[in-house]
Amino acid sequence: MHRTWVVIRREFLAKVRNKWFVIATLLGPALMGLAMFLPAYLLTKSTGARTVTVVDASSDQVGRRIADALDAAPLITAHYLEATLGGVGDLADSLAAEVGRKVINGFLLVTDQTITDGDVEYRGSNVSSQNDMANLQRYVEEAVLTQRLERVGVDPRLVADARLRVDLRTINIRGGKTTEQSGQAAFFLAYVMWFVLYIALVVYGQLVAGAVVEEKSSRIIEVLVSSLRPSQLLAGKVIGVGAVGLFQLLIWAVMAKILIDQQGFFLDLLGIRIPGGRAFGLPGVPLATMGVLLLYFVLGFFLYATMFAAVGAMSSSDADVRQAQQPVLILIVIPALLAFGALNDPDGPIALTLTLVPFSSPIAMPIRWSVSAVPLGELAASVGLLVVTMLGVTWVAARIYRVGILMYGKRPGLRELARWVRTR
Amino acid sequence: MPDPVVVVEAVTKRFAGHTAVRGLSLAVAPGAVYGLLGPNGAGKTTTMRMIMNIIAPDEGRVRLFGEPWNRRNLSARIGYLPEERGLYKKMKVLEVLVFLAETKGIARRTAKQRAAEWLERLGLADWSLKKVDDLSKGMQQKVQFISTVLHDPTLLILDEPFAGLDPVNSQIMKDTVLELARKGATVLFSTHIMEHAEKLCDSVCIIARGEKVVDGPLAEVKRRHGGHHHVIVAVERGSEAVDRVWADRSLVAKAHNYGQYAEVELADGADPQRLLTALLGAEARISRFEVTEATLNQVFIDLVGPDAARPAARGEA
Repeated sequence: MHRTWVVIRREFLAKVRNKWFVIATLLGPALMGLAMFLPAYLLTKSTGARTVTVVDASSDQVGRRIADALDAAPLITAHYLEATLGGVGDLADSLAAEVGRKVINGFLLVTDQTITDGDVEYRGSNVSSQNDMANLQRYVEEAVLTQRLERVGVDPRLVADARLRVDLRTINIRGGKTTEQSGQAAFFLAYVMWFVLYIALVVYGQLVAGAVVEEKSSRIIEVLVSSLRPSQLLAGKVIGVGAVGLFQLLIWAVMAKILIDQQGFFLDLLGIRIPGGRAFGLPGVPLATMGVLLLYFVLGFFLYATMFAAVGAMSSSDADVRQAQQPVLILIVIPALLAFGALNDPDGPIALTLTLVPFSSPIAMPIRWSVSAVPLGELAASVGLLVVTMLGVTWVAARIYRVGILMYGKRPGLRELARWVRTR
Repeated sequence: MPDPVVVVEAVTKRFAGHTAVRGLSLAVAPGAVYGLLGPNGAGKTTTMRMIMNIIAPDEGRVRLFGEPWNRRNLSARIGYLPEERGLYKKMKVLEVLVFLAETKGIARRTAKQRAAEWLERLGLADWSLKKVDDLSKGMQQKVQFISTVLHDPTLLILDEPFAGLDPVNSQIMKDTVLELARKGATVLFSTHIMEHAEKLCDSVCIIARGEKVVDGPLAEVKRRHGGHHHVIVAVERGSEAVDRVWADRSLVAKAHNYGQYAEVELADGADPQRLLTALLGAEARISRFEVTEATLNQVFIDLVGPDAARPAARGEA
């Protein structure tokens, strides 16, 4: 046990002291901060007020109502311009020139069809901004609706009262209990967990393969094998790299928490003003979800890390490893992509299958757990299958490792591998 | 004879397509410096790996200190220098040594202290905080050697320990090995360079193509297989007359000309004085004439033959 610990410690220190580890660990939070603050920053920079001209060629001045509604809206300035149907063409040309000179952002063409058919045209330089267009559409719709109702004799005050903006708040329901979690937060949490698990398996798994082949290519393996049992070595590698992974994720988690908690400070620093002063909220993570995440992280990591170790053991160089690890990578990537898709129907048959199959459950189950109430029986079945598979895979991988670490030259084929597994 | 430290009993190891070692037996007495000799591809490394329980023999068994291997129960008492040298290149010299000692169960603090002492002793003290990668190949070899002896093993198993060393470092290594032997360690090492073996060994085992050719105390092997009188002769410039002397079968049984000098085995009953007289009669200018016993090199070549230097198909070095 002590000797395994010695291997774990060496592996951990060697990886943590590596300059790439330091760079990646610092780069993570930097990218996180960028992802958090850049959109907010761009938003404040670019959402200067929009200036819109409303060209009214209608007979009952519906355009004025639209212009008033737009002008009253935040961050929009609207000018009213009366026109005749025949003059619209020339007017449109001169307004287009104004858009070109950036005097205005665009102009609306309102006609009688606007009231009868809901037909209205907007030309401008910001048509690709979904946000702008959604706002425009809403205000025009409101004005047109009011105009129509008044035309059939409804009291304008009544119309004003009846006008109501609907704001859909989504609240997640799990296991028949309403949670504090909003739908958005649940999705965000699921996405973060997917990312963490995927990175953990792919990146740290490959680190294991690299660590194993490094000992082969540097030829130190024979010295190690003369003092340590292959199982001690293998356990030391896998646990050592796993600890490095947990350590890095922990650093990132702490940094993320600081970024989110202190976002006011960072926003001030960047000179960004945001209503409410917060760009991001931290979704509350229930303890059970954390537990499930950690459990599947550990089991999934062992399942794949031992496979990567076997890959490393059957290779003689880094280039060998890159080729030989493809099947294992595919085994992670495909279920990971499917698991992400299963979010749409977290209790459907696809999600259920993915959370039961051992090679996809390490990613699929924590995600599904975070967005829906998974029956405990299914959780138990999933964990059970995963543990059994992991033990089986570890056994095979350990036997390949034991033979492979002393073999050099051509990579073995499947028949050769089967022989290694059977070797006494 | 006290109980041997290393006992190899009729071991055979087959790899796909060829037999690397066939029915090999040997025994190493405590305190001995034992040479496992053989040409390239004779099965030396395979034998050493089986002794170290890194690969399992297909037949036969190995016992060390009178005990069978049970996983790695004996490894703390053994210092093993594999043929394939290797260290963690990115680690500092001292750290590698401490780590390798710890894998043998030595406490961290003790390991640090001993590593520092050994580095001092082999003149590497200034390099202890440098990365292994920054060291020359010779220095790395010394570091590797230190890692082999750091845990004070009572049995040293060294596969080609002097390969790749310059004469100065080679001598330092030999002195160190002999000193450890004097202090009571048993040394088993392999080499294909007979001069090394001749200087160091008290017993040898010569193998070729995976099979034992001869083993026993060095003096006995030489006496039994060295033939009759041996003479080392250096002649400045040959001549036809001198060649006729070499060809005289009543005088010379075998002659190996090494270029600078020749090693001559006299024919049965021939007297070294007669050879000297004959050479003088041929008007040879003699710069060296030494009556000696057979060199190990001579014995080795006689026993193994030039054929054995060619390794069997897909043989191990």
